[in-house]
Amino acid sequence: MSGPVPAVTKPVPAQNKAQLDVFRAEADAIVAKYEEKRAAMLPVLRLVQEKLGFVSPEAEEWVGSLLGIAPSHVHEVVTFYTLYNQQPVGKHHIQVCQNIACALTGCESMIAAISKKLGIKPGETTPDGRFTLSTVECLCACEVGPVMQVNDKYVGPITLETVEQLAKAPELLPEMDTPFREAVHLVEPVLSRRFTMRDSEIIETYVRDDGYQAARKATTEMTPQQVIDEVTKSNLRGLGGAGFPTGKKWSFIPKDSAKPKYVVVNADEGEPGTLKDRYVISKDPHRLIEGMMIAAYAIGAHKAYIYIRGEYARPAQILQQAVQDAYKYGFLGKSAFNSGFALDIVVHRGAGAYICGEESALLESLEGKKGFPRLRPPFPAISGLFASPTLINNVETLACVPTIIARGGEWFAKLGSDKAGGTRLYSISGHVVKPGLYEASQSIKLRELIEAAGGPREGRKIKAVVPGGISAKILKADELDVVMDFDSLRNAGTMAGSAGVIVMDDTTCMVQALWYASKFFAHESCGQCSPCREGTGWIFKIVDRIIKGQGKQQDLDVLLGIATNMEGRTICVFADAAAWPVQSYITKFRDEFEYHIRTKRCDLLQRMKNLNNRMSTLKPQTEPTNA
Amino acid sequence: MPDAPKQISLTIDGKPVTVSDGTTVLQACEKADSPVPFYCYHPGLSIAGNCRICLVEIQGAPKLQIACYTLATNGMVVFTTSDPTLKGRKDVLEFLLINHPLDCPVCDQAGECWLQDYYMRHGLYDPKFNEAKTKKPKAVPLGPTVMLDAERCILCSRCVRFTDEITKTGEFGIFNRGDHSVIGLHPGKTLENNYSGNVVDICPVGALTDRDFRFKCRVWYLGATDSVCTGCSRGCNTVIHNNRERDWRPHIADGGRVMRLKPRFNADVNKWWMCDEGRYGYKFIDENRLAAVQVRESGAQRAATWEEGLGRVANALAALRQAKQLDRAGVILSSHLTNEDLFAAQTFFKKLGLTNVVFQRPKPGKSDQLLLQADKSPNARGAQALGIAEGAQALLARAAKKELKLLWVFTQDLTQVFDAALVRQAAAGVELFIFQGTNANPTADMAHVVLPSTVCAEKEGTLTNFQGRVQRIQAAVLPAGDSRADIAICQLIGELLQVELPFADAASTFAQLAAGVPAFTGMTYANLGQSGALLRNGTSH
Repeated sequence: MSGPVPAVTKPVPAQNKAQLDVFRAEADAIVAKYEEKRAAMLPVLRLVQEKLGFVSPEAEEWVGSLLGIAPSHVHEVVTFYTLYNQQPVGKHHIQVCQNIACALTGCESMIAAISKKLGIKPGETTPDGRFTLSTVECLCACEVGPVMQVNDKYVGPITLETVEQLAKAPELLPEMDTPFREAVHLVEPVLSRRFTMRDSEIIETYVRDDGYQAARKATTEMTPQQVIDEVTKSNLRGLGGAGFPTGKKWSFIPKDSAKPKYVVVNADEGEPGTLKDRYVISKDPHRLIEGMMIAAYAIGAHKAYIYIRGEYARPAQILQQAVQDAYKYGFLGKSAFNSGFALDIVVHRGAGAYICGEESALLESLEGKKGFPRLRPPFPAISGLFASPTLINNVETLACVPTIIARGGEWFAKLGSDKAGGTRLYSISGHVVKPGLYEASQSIKLRELIEAAGGPREGRKIKAVVPGGISAKILKADELDVVMDFDSLRNAGTMAGSAGVIVMDDTTCMVQALWYASKFFAHESCGQCSPCREGTGWIFKIVDRIIKGQGKQQDLDVLLGIATNMEGRTICVFADAAAWPVQSYITKFRDEFEYHIRTKRCDLLQRMKNLNNRMSTLKPQTEPTNA
Repeated sequence: MPDAPKQISLTIDGKPVTVSDGTTVLQACEKADSPVPFYCYHPGLSIAGNCRICLVEIQGAPKLQIACYTLATNGMVVFTTSDPTLKGRKDVLEFLLINHPLDCPVCDQAGECWLQDYYMRHGLYDPKFNEAKTKKPKAVPLGPTVMLDAERCILCSRCVRFTDEITKTGEFGIFNRGDHSVIGLHPGKTLENNYSGNVVDICPVGALTDRDFRFKCRVWYLGATDSVCTGCSRGCNTVIHNNRERDWRPHIADGGRVMRLKPRFNADVNKWWMCDEGRYGYKFIDENRLAAVQVRESGAQRAATWEEGLGRVANALAALRQAKQLDRAGVILSSHLTNEDLFAAQTFFKKLGLTNVVFQRPKPGKSDQLLLQADKSPNARGAQALGIAEGAQALLARAAKKELKLLWVFTQDLTQVFDAALVRQAAAGVELFIFQGTNANPTADMAHVVLPSTVCAEKEGTLTNFQGRVQRIQAAVLPAGDSRADIAICQLIGELLQVELPFADAASTFAQLAAGVPAFTGMTYANLGQSGALLRNGTSH
């Protein structure tokens, strides 16, 4: 559904204790995996939903008593995350992405086509209970946009044929196929080396390709400090988006701690326009596990969690299998390589909340609460998961680590730019010929990346590019020669972020682009701090009004004012991220916004009518009324 | 002795201030008399840091910092009135108000609403919000005591933290997210813990209002008097809110005087809280009061003058004194009486030569780990400190066996404590059964003479809580009807019996008490102050 789902108003069918007690043993087994019972909240709720289709207030009470938590706090969790249904849904729950990258590739016309075919609007269920249609925020499969989930399965790109098949036999729709695109100008790719190999995700091929040798080297030949030094030398920086030097982060973990230490992997990929972690997890999961082993050894942790976004069902399955196999081979569990180093890994699935990609919100979520970012200090290195020292790294960051240990930090550092070692995975989506995942040195220029992705579609010109996920400030067509590393992009007034490159060509209406961006932030604000909670909703209401032809010229300055007033006033940087698109779109394309307000319509609309569905781009939600 | 905490010095608005290490900027600002506004911060709850109204400029910090969570450091320079601070505050207030309904005229919080107050003090901006406001549930009863208006809620989470951290009952939650976030209870649940009223106190806006109080009286008509709850032996510090416009607005709450009780902070007794039993237990002040002297005549009570009532009592006592039969009179004082009342009575009976004087506690009730005590008497500890014997059983038994000629019962309905039949027999077994008290009850109904006395809200005095803390109460309203203070009644009867008593008022009584009873040595009303003082053998607990 677009917009947060309101509290339950319709009476929902009751679920009784006997129904729930049937799978009590399964629930207990989940609880046993965690240090604190409450941490089992998300997976136990997922279990309830898998078994019974939705989570009722009775089920919330049942879960609450199982975990020793007041039912109100279980209800908080159920209503905070989008993946929990509070009412029964159709047998096939169709969730179509309605975020910016999919909008660029025509999701609105596909939503309309599905709606027409099934006879239901988003938010509705067919009378026979077969289908429920919802629109959702970014599924992080932008390279196959427009994309949807049919229950757990990712399907894309959606075409009119897909819609026909969806109505007939949804179970026969194939899961999306997303081959890795290319390592650009790299003699030797690092992260994507195995992506194109057959069976790259299984342990046998990984071990055959010298897999787990770096972990062996680290745990049997190196001291933890030597490992940290090597990572420091590599100039590896956090590839989740913040770009914090990884070696330094590892060194913040106290050497001596009365409490256990944890490694937590941030696999909550959610930044619109980003899809890289999914490739690492799906195509080379053992690389991640090996990286985790090395990190855990370096900081002295014996338990690690991978927090993977809830929508990534297939990747989670692959990852779970990989973890099991790693246990079977003796890499995990007791004493890998007879080194005495032991590590346990738990794969923990999220439940639909972008904010949980923020590290402290992720920890809250992992502990079974709403994803509310924490006040800092203390920082996670001192008091993170279960109030213990915790290292949190992104998937891609940790996936670099085995290579750093195997080839040396200096070798890795040379692959990148001055201040950022190694390569990066660049997700490219929107108006390019070959959207998908690319690996390149961080010294590559944005223009070169876009060229590698086939450039703009035939006959079109690039209008604007978001270089690092939807939060990053937008760049105009004349700003594409920027180098794609953290510092260069910051100097260019934007940010490298998650390296999710969203390309918009000259068919794109910037007012509508901002409509999607602001809808996203209004939907995903956790609601904790007042400026962000109220500001994101306010921004969306104004942009929505402009789109509907009811804008006023002064709205633009009000929008800029709201953005400024939110920025830097909250616990986490979400409010800043929500402010940046507003500031950059309006500042850089002010004429277009003013035109839209003045004429109550989009000047692109007329031109758009001549384009076919696949080519069509952002379609307004409502036709202008006073055109 | 542990080391004293390290002292640090900082500058707030140009004023130097020294605080101990670990103090927050917000607390330091209060100490420097540069207070900053706040909503979510509450000294009795964990820090949430979500409302953002306490943002202040700190020299060297790249952006404004929340004062409630930032620790003061040595040499820190804070500006609470600089342009960036004022702008931050104003901006945050505008965010808080965009979806807030404009229903102040019909909102019961009006007049004590922190949104109103801060808007006038820190806001006064030109509103820019021109969109439809978010709709949320309104006028939802959460339980017997609290009403919710979710649209007015600013989601500060104080109530959530209160039920999580203080009562540990966890009723409240904030559901959904973004600007659809809404405060509430689990579907189908009600808010019924014994501390529910506190969430109304700590709600800074009109989201949680008191079902007992709402729409009864506009808060600007309220008078406020510091007092102490008499519901149990905890002695929670309170403020009595009365309708001070009663003469002009007699329609308010059917002419009731006391509108509500609010807890008052006392670090050693009740912190910021009070229980519902005490909070809503104020109704006896206005309801069912004994308003006139009653005397029994041919089996039925009838109204009488004070002269007549006091005359009957004095005559009976004089006769017993003359016959040297004062040992056949009994007095049952109450642990509801103040230290002053008890001391005056004790002194009077001692001078008179009447020695069968005891005090009686009410029946024990519920207790909990937080505040509520099983002993429902506000001043049993005071009666003990005065050396008054405890327990009325023996005296009642003697009266029932017709061994006594006169029985004088103060304040309490003994049928609530003892078997009603025993009380009836005792009343029937004496020649004169006197009830001196505040409210009509079965014991009063049995009396030959009823002397109406004032309730705690109508008099000065002190009460000694279970910890031995002597705390002041003050008169919030005038005596109901023709009732008189217990001290005054003593004094009058004393005069009739030529027993010289020096009790002009509560203050002078207390001065003599402090001079005469070692446990109270050195105490004065002035030095008891706002938070009382321990008996010399009291425990701080």
